[in-house]
Amino acid sequence: MNELLVLLRQRRRRDRFQLAVWIISIGLLTYASTASVAGTYGDEAGRTQILQLAVATRTVLVFRGTPNGPSLGAFVFFELFSWLAVMVGLMSSFLAVRHSRADEELGRAELVASTPAGRILPTVATVVHGLLANVVVGVLVALALIANGLDAAGSFVFGAAVTAVGATCLAFGLFVAQLFRTSRGANGAGVAFVIGAYIMRGIGDAAGTPSDDLLHVTPAWPSWISPIGWGQATGAYVRNDLRPLLLAVVFSAVLVAVVFGLQSVRDQGASLIPGRPGRANAGPLLSSSVGLAWRLNSTVIASWAVGGAVGGLLATSLSSLVDEVGSEAPDVAKVLQGSLGGAASLEQALMATVFGIVGVLACCCVVQIGIRARQEEAHGTAETVLTTPVPRIRWLADYWLVGVLATLIVLACAALAGLVGVGRAADPDALATELVETAIAQIPVALVFLGLTLLVFAYLPRATIPLAWSLVGFLAMLGIFGPLFGAPKWLVNVSPFTHAPVPVGDSVDWTGGLWMIGIGLVTAALAVASMRRRELVSGG
Amino acid sequence: MTTVIQTRDLVKTYGRVRALDGLDLSVSAGEVHGFLGPNGAGKSTTIRILLGLARATGGEATVFGEDPWRRAHELHRRIAYVPGDVSLWPNFTGGEAIDLIARLRGDGKDKEAYLERKQRLIAAFEFDPRKKGRTYSKGNRQKVALISAFATPAELYLLDEPTSGLDPLMEQVFNREVARVAEQGATVLLSSHILSEVEQLCNRVTIIRAGRMAETGTLADLRHLTRTEVAFSTQGQDPGVLTGVPGANDVRIDNGRVSFTIDSDRVTAVLPELARLEVTGLTIKPPSLEELFLRDYGDELAPAGTRGSREVRS
Repeated sequence: MNELLVLLRQRRRRDRFQLAVWIISIGLLTYASTASVAGTYGDEAGRTQILQLAVATRTVLVFRGTPNGPSLGAFVFFELFSWLAVMVGLMSSFLAVRHSRADEELGRAELVASTPAGRILPTVATVVHGLLANVVVGVLVALALIANGLDAAGSFVFGAAVTAVGATCLAFGLFVAQLFRTSRGANGAGVAFVIGAYIMRGIGDAAGTPSDDLLHVTPAWPSWISPIGWGQATGAYVRNDLRPLLLAVVFSAVLVAVVFGLQSVRDQGASLIPGRPGRANAGPLLSSSVGLAWRLNSTVIASWAVGGAVGGLLATSLSSLVDEVGSEAPDVAKVLQGSLGGAASLEQALMATVFGIVGVLACCCVVQIGIRARQEEAHGTAETVLTTPVPRIRWLADYWLVGVLATLIVLACAALAGLVGVGRAADPDALATELVETAIAQIPVALVFLGLTLLVFAYLPRATIPLAWSLVGFLAMLGIFGPLFGAPKWLVNVSPFTHAPVPVGDSVDWTGGLWMIGIGLVTAALAVASMRRRELVSGG
Repeated sequence: MTTVIQTRDLVKTYGRVRALDGLDLSVSAGEVHGFLGPNGAGKSTTIRILLGLARATGGEATVFGEDPWRRAHELHRRIAYVPGDVSLWPNFTGGEAIDLIARLRGDGKDKEAYLERKQRLIAAFEFDPRKKGRTYSKGNRQKVALISAFATPAELYLLDEPTSGLDPLMEQVFNREVARVAEQGATVLLSSHILSEVEQLCNRVTIIRAGRMAETGTLADLRHLTRTEVAFSTQGQDPGVLTGVPGANDVRIDNGRVSFTIDSDRVTAVLPELARLEVTGLTIKPPSLEELFLRDYGDELAPAGTRGSREVRS
């Protein structure tokens, strides 16, 4: 028991800044967004209209939630919950991996395991620590909602649903930490789980059955395989039904039990996938530093490219869905078209939205590539390369080059997958052109994040990993969800994602894109040039 | 003789810590130069500056007459480096890492010679190149760096505690390789705190302490700085007569043996006196670096000499 307390204190101390930032941001965002929603959609008539529009088009629901009546509480739940769930999910997943596989990978876990704390207790401590963090988040969310004048019962159900999603992602994070040998792999799987949960419930909502008054939707089955879907099923403020959260409890409990089972049978530091003898000589790829940079990132690029392809498929298949709505309910389509952006057609707007997400994937990919440069430096392998005749500048420039290639690959996969679905559209050629244009339009924003990550690496190397991920996370949230929550225009404009060129009618305004390419090139050049003066900064 | 490595008044600070505090080091072409000092004396920092991995805060360092920071990658064509703690790519095999490093160093011109050297070294070091980087022990990771360093020809070898983690058998292989490259005319800077290794391999030695040079010279020069220890059996001896031995210091009698130390250049002078006494069980132990080392650092082994007091002295 004493050891458990020591381990818990150690975890709390190690996370005191990182976790505080997550928890406080989630609390503040809940408060601010609720106030903004309440201010923007003050009267029930306005909310009714918005809900009916959303339900009529349904695809919009992918990015919101399950409509459950026009009361302010239910409306806030509809607008905010899935988004908060993603944040708390990421927080919990990173927390789980940080205190399990990351420690094990760096050999710290071994040090702890050799004390009376043993191999299992540290995991118990991580579970307790993570659950406590999630309970704090849930309570803060509930308090932020109550502070905005929403009723207490519904607010606590809302909070409990947030906590439940967090707990699920915590358990999943611990589970993949058992499977993967590296924290990078485990974190990637954790993020994929959270994004997957978001998308599944989005599909569930979009494909759900609307009520006659177009104010409620009964989600389709995909929602029921998503922890975020379980949270939404509580129907906070209306049904206040805690039973769906039992699913989260059972799912987490089973996963945690599996984690303990796996941990008690496997060796410290090992993963479940056994190693086999590799090649004795290097292949032709490992002959230059750019080949090395490519090889180190190829798995990451392949994973994000798969994500891009899924996004591309989603874009065109949703477009044909919109076509149906357009022909069934032309009035609704008209209104929606207006609200989504003036002259842009519904398809164009939808394509831009979905490809906005694909753009985020490409950005995540280049961020991870920049982070790899930092990991090479911290791990000491960059030093090995730099003691050969590879110039420092060239070494970092190679990561930039691989980042550019990765951007093109992820977006090309998205566009190609999208083209598969184009055939069924009313005007395939036009849609195909738009598709390609919209995909190209995402290149600049990825270049910006590539440049930014390398710049952080150059000047704040030790902060590279948290800062680069936070930048892409925060700015993506701001760019995609900011307008939904009535964030001030200047703030939304800070996000590069706001400026991705969007095809409107037959033309595309590339101004924003050209600016971003400029910014991307300048930041990258500054970062690479800094290597002229910069010493290697070891781990820590 | 041309100078390969030259530092003058080299200073390197990390925040408030002075890692190097005016180091002078000179290594001539073709020499195997021992670089000695206790942990934290600044050996690795010096080597990192010579490699252009770290930038000098003050003073001057040149390698082959060039600035190692600005001309790093050109110089690296002529340098092979083995760090004391080798990091490998966890998902590359040892063989892949060896090839990668060698190719980056530019083995391309003579592939067959490289392959032959690599195979020979892999066999000599009894190394399994098919395992993943993360599964190697410290000694095996060390072998990766050693094999790739010795498999490609270089003019200068910078070896930073290269044998840490190797077993004594492998140390012999290492010694052989150093002797081989030295014979071919390469220059070697060997940082170590294994004195026997340095005594066996090096012609010249520099000892550093607290970021400054404490001693430098050939082994013979340095030996003159210490005393030879003479000991013999007390059997049938009158301790009183020993006072007659000229130049004897620290005379001690214990466990039936008389021992004293004497300046190394006076050893032959006392031999007639010892012959006259007809001593038995005579041993004469030449000075070792160990003693030199202990003499130089002995005062620091006492109450962990604080940095502050060092700075007062300098």
